[in-house]
Amino acid sequence: MARTVTLEHPTAHPAKGGAMLKRHANLLIAAAALLALPYVLNAIGLTLTSATDVAILAMACMALNLLVGYTGLVSFGHGAWFGLGAYAAALLQHRVWPDGGVALAIPAMLLIGLLAVPVGFVVLRRRGVYFSLLTLAFTALLYTVAYRWTALTGGENGIGGVKRGLLFGLDLERAGVFYTLVAVVVLVVIFLLQRFVRSPMGSVLAAIRENEQRARFVGYNTTLYKIACFTLSASVTALAGALMVFNHRFASADPIAVAFSGELLAMVVIGGMRSFLGPALGALFYVLFREFLSMWTPNWLFWFGLLFMGFIVFSPTGLVGVAGRLLAPLRKRTVEDAAMGGRTVAQAQALPKTLTAREPWSGDGPILEAKGLARAFGGIKAVENGAVAVRDRTLHALIGPNGAGKTTAFNLISGMFKPDAGEIRLAGVRIDGLSPHQVCAKGLSRSFQITNLFPTLSLHENLRLGVQATHARRFDPWTDASSIPEIEAETREMIAFLGAAGMEKAEAGALSYGGQRLLDMGLALTSRPRVLLLDEPLAGLAAAERTRVSNLIKQISAEVPVLLVEHDIDRVFELADAVTVMADGAVLVDGTVEDARTNKKVQEVYIGSGSAALANRDLASAATDKPMLALDGVDAFYGKSRILSGVALEAREGEILALLGRNGAGKSTLLKTIVGIVTPATGTAALAGENLAGMTPAAIARRGVGYVPQGRALFSGMSVRHNLELGRLKRRTGAGKHFSEEEVLDLFPRLKQRLDTAADLLSGGEQQMVAVARALVGDTRVLLLDEPFEGLSPAVTEELFDAFDRLRHQLTLVIVDHHLDVVLNLADRAVVLERGQVVHEGPARPLARDLDLRRSVLWL
Amino acid sequence: MPLELVFLIEQLLNGLLVGVAYLLIALGLSLIFSLGGIVNLAHGGFYAIGAYAAVVVGNRYGFPAAFFISPIAVALIGVVIERVLFARFYRADPILSLLLTFGLAMVIEQALRMTFGATPIPFSIPDFLRGQVFVGDFIYSRYRLAILVVAIVAVLGLWLLLQRTAFGRVVRAGVQNPDMVGALGISLTPYLAAVAALGIGLAGLAGVMLAPITGVHPAMGSEILTASFVVVVIGGLGSFWGVVAAGLLVGVVRGMTVYFIPPAAEASMYLLMLLVLLLRPRGLFGERILRFE
Repeated sequence: MARTVTLEHPTAHPAKGGAMLKRHANLLIAAAALLALPYVLNAIGLTLTSATDVAILAMACMALNLLVGYTGLVSFGHGAWFGLGAYAAALLQHRVWPDGGVALAIPAMLLIGLLAVPVGFVVLRRRGVYFSLLTLAFTALLYTVAYRWTALTGGENGIGGVKRGLLFGLDLERAGVFYTLVAVVVLVVIFLLQRFVRSPMGSVLAAIRENEQRARFVGYNTTLYKIACFTLSASVTALAGALMVFNHRFASADPIAVAFSGELLAMVVIGGMRSFLGPALGALFYVLFREFLSMWTPNWLFWFGLLFMGFIVFSPTGLVGVAGRLLAPLRKRTVEDAAMGGRTVAQAQALPKTLTAREPWSGDGPILEAKGLARAFGGIKAVENGAVAVRDRTLHALIGPNGAGKTTAFNLISGMFKPDAGEIRLAGVRIDGLSPHQVCAKGLSRSFQITNLFPTLSLHENLRLGVQATHARRFDPWTDASSIPEIEAETREMIAFLGAAGMEKAEAGALSYGGQRLLDMGLALTSRPRVLLLDEPLAGLAAAERTRVSNLIKQISAEVPVLLVEHDIDRVFELADAVTVMADGAVLVDGTVEDARTNKKVQEVYIGSGSAALANRDLASAATDKPMLALDGVDAFYGKSRILSGVALEAREGEILALLGRNGAGKSTLLKTIVGIVTPATGTAALAGENLAGMTPAAIARRGVGYVPQGRALFSGMSVRHNLELGRLKRRTGAGKHFSEEEVLDLFPRLKQRLDTAADLLSGGEQQMVAVARALVGDTRVLLLDEPFEGLSPAVTEELFDAFDRLRHQLTLVIVDHHLDVVLNLADRAVVLERGQVVHEGPARPLARDLDLRRSVLWL
Repeated sequence: MPLELVFLIEQLLNGLLVGVAYLLIALGLSLIFSLGGIVNLAHGGFYAIGAYAAVVVGNRYGFPAAFFISPIAVALIGVVIERVLFARFYRADPILSLLLTFGLAMVIEQALRMTFGATPIPFSIPDFLRGQVFVGDFIYSRYRLAILVVAIVAVLGLWLLLQRTAFGRVVRAGVQNPDMVGALGISLTPYLAAVAALGIGLAGLAGVMLAPITGVHPAMGSEILTASFVVVVIGGLGSFWGVVAAGLLVGVVRGMTVYFIPPAAEASMYLLMLLVLLLRPRGLFGERILRFE
């Protein structure tokens, strides 16, 4: 879930030392509040029944918050459990045990808890919004049942005459005695909930909320945890409902109505879903609001709803968040330096013992072997015949151009997808088709290309969760998770290894990008893997960080074999012990670094052969001196990952500019920055002298910028005609040359017969033509093309080549493509990007003709 | 025709009537959700506003005026809500907009209660639509038949709007790839507002038409909302024909249960939903939309 606010997370452990008071602060506050509540309410004119209501609702809200705040599952149907608990208690007394008093709340809770298991199993199949809708529908279903099944529930009349009975000879019919009992129960429940959320089991909930995918990849069977949490939450809510029956001596369908579920949720949100006791505060607020406002207006819910909306808009963290913000200036700020500079030492640290102490792989042959891997997505074969074999204690690199199938191969090996065919063996055991947490348990773990952490949890908690996932006590619901010595020791060792001592408490999301990449790798290592998969660990790092991280990888691979996907080929060739090169979903070369470096086919894949038929044409340049597009000092980031740094370039009117560079060099991002889809952090982009800063993509497009993205992004289900219509709809602006539909169709005559065909049914080449045509129609002066020749046959390539050649007389073109033979022959000038920086700029022709020059500029 | 069959067909039509009412609400929900990512739990509230507006306008100027004015008024309110509230949440966590619109639903319901009181307000069928239609042995209410016709026209009209006009194509393109639409020079902001107006206006229209049948009361919105969500979930979020199929299916199943097991009429659609979700977790025609999972 995307989160715009960073908050104090619920599992924040109090610091060590002087801890007793702090550890139990929540309980002390709760006890004090429960003690004071009747007196305070009495002083403002409310009864003990209201105080009992507050205590019971507080308990229900805290239970609901286990799902909402801790696990990130927003249940719109929790009133159902409250209502079911109420019915269960009332029915037990009426039908089974007429003399049973309040004690019946216990069997009622157990019964409903049992029911929650299968319900949880069904509704937890979905997450996010779908989960919310399912819980909503579940409640609505129960409501109709409860309302209609009058024989059991009494329908509209409900079940009255519930007796509280005696407990230890005390008459619970007396409000004071009953309140005391409820307060004790609530306090005990709060104690139990606190133990739970601090236990290994409870601590996983926050991991699921922050990043369920990663939780599965570090080894948690998240479904089990979610069902456990759902059941516990439902049981406690049912207990609250049962106690409410004894408070009001009456059970009805009211709590099952969706409205009550919403009110519970509102209490949680208003109180503060990111704090342990916040929801209880919300319950108090709700009852006070109800009691006072209902004296003044029968429509107190109107004002309550408005207030609720106000909180969502202005303070999603509720009252606790408001209080935190008000108190913030008074508090001493203890924000730790989250920069990489905060790390203790830069020299290499010893690998954690758990990684070095494991048994070496005794079998002969590779420890990880994948053969004949195949996987298709919607008819497109991402991997056709993937194979890789990693020997123990080596660094094995998997490289290849875009679309070669490397990441898919990774995803197949690590269990994210099931392969359509092929087999994967880890230390001789088949692991293909297993789910991620099972693969992790077998001894294979991975890092991710896009940083994939538990962002609002501390660095320490991230790693601790990783260690805990493969620990025997990961399901322990009782012990304090931070007090398990083995887990703690392993976590410390890993922190020391990463050189992160002293910044344990920094939030993972607040770390520098380099720190996050490092933590991502550390998290993968906490699973004590037999083989480690690293997906582009160097991407987006600055030079110094690159060296540091690659040294670390090399060091790890001396103990734990590493399979690495990385675009920084220079670095890969320096480090790797073995290399597999993939292209078009299959293996091209498998061997040593030298094999890969010198292999002609590999070079061809990356820089072309210099001998394409198109090279023979002698094209005339149409470039003028008038600057059309000018970029200066452009920096761009994805999150914290730096993609472009200080890019400056200029394209003149009538010029064709080739933008070259390897995968991940930042070419596509540069185009997106020009179009405005990516906002540059610094620097300027100007179009014909006009600064584009702060403009939306739509505004930039209307100034005459046409954009053909990689993969074409045609609108499927719409005809060619309609795709073109969307292109010209709002681009009749007079900015640049006007391209009418006829002119565009003249450029690509074969589209004339296809005008009424759905764009997604066209061949790849025709689709590319439509994408170009769509970007042109209207008024255009700059055309940006991202990989326009990708996946096309030579004949179609030639057709497009000629079209672009004709266009140079009418506008400026910027082309990104890895078919260098084609694009260099077409272009006037070439700009080469490497790691987000311009490393070469010059005329294209020499690069097109002189393969040695090309190799020196573009190869290693 | 045997009598049982006549009853069966009547119940089937009654079920379909309920189904198309859910459908009008569900299509609006689905449309707003697909383009902006807002799950509008206040949609039922707008349905209720439509019904109340019909009472107010209808009592003064007659049913035909109410039929046209009320949905338009509701649509205008929708635009205001979209600009003031929804627009803040298009790029936020969808759960927040879910909570927000839930609060909005609460506020609308209470506002109606404050203004018009809690007791149901009768709203009578206009004279020219009173009476029955006879087809052989078969007798059916003229007004109910009119509702079916209007609903069918509305659904087809919406479909034509989305398929056959430039407006609709921009909306569909925006659902597929908003970034690309922007890169073609088209700002989605006015389309988001228009779609909210359209979806919410449809809810208002349903409110006007069903007002004489269900009666007009403040909780009518929350009652129909859950059912409409069931339709959307069965059909699949964001799928036009999926939602249409689900609406009709729910109607038919409901009609049948009313005939065979009357007490289970309400529960039937929830069981249907459970069944569909177990077999097809994304609904009949639903696609996987990552950010809502």
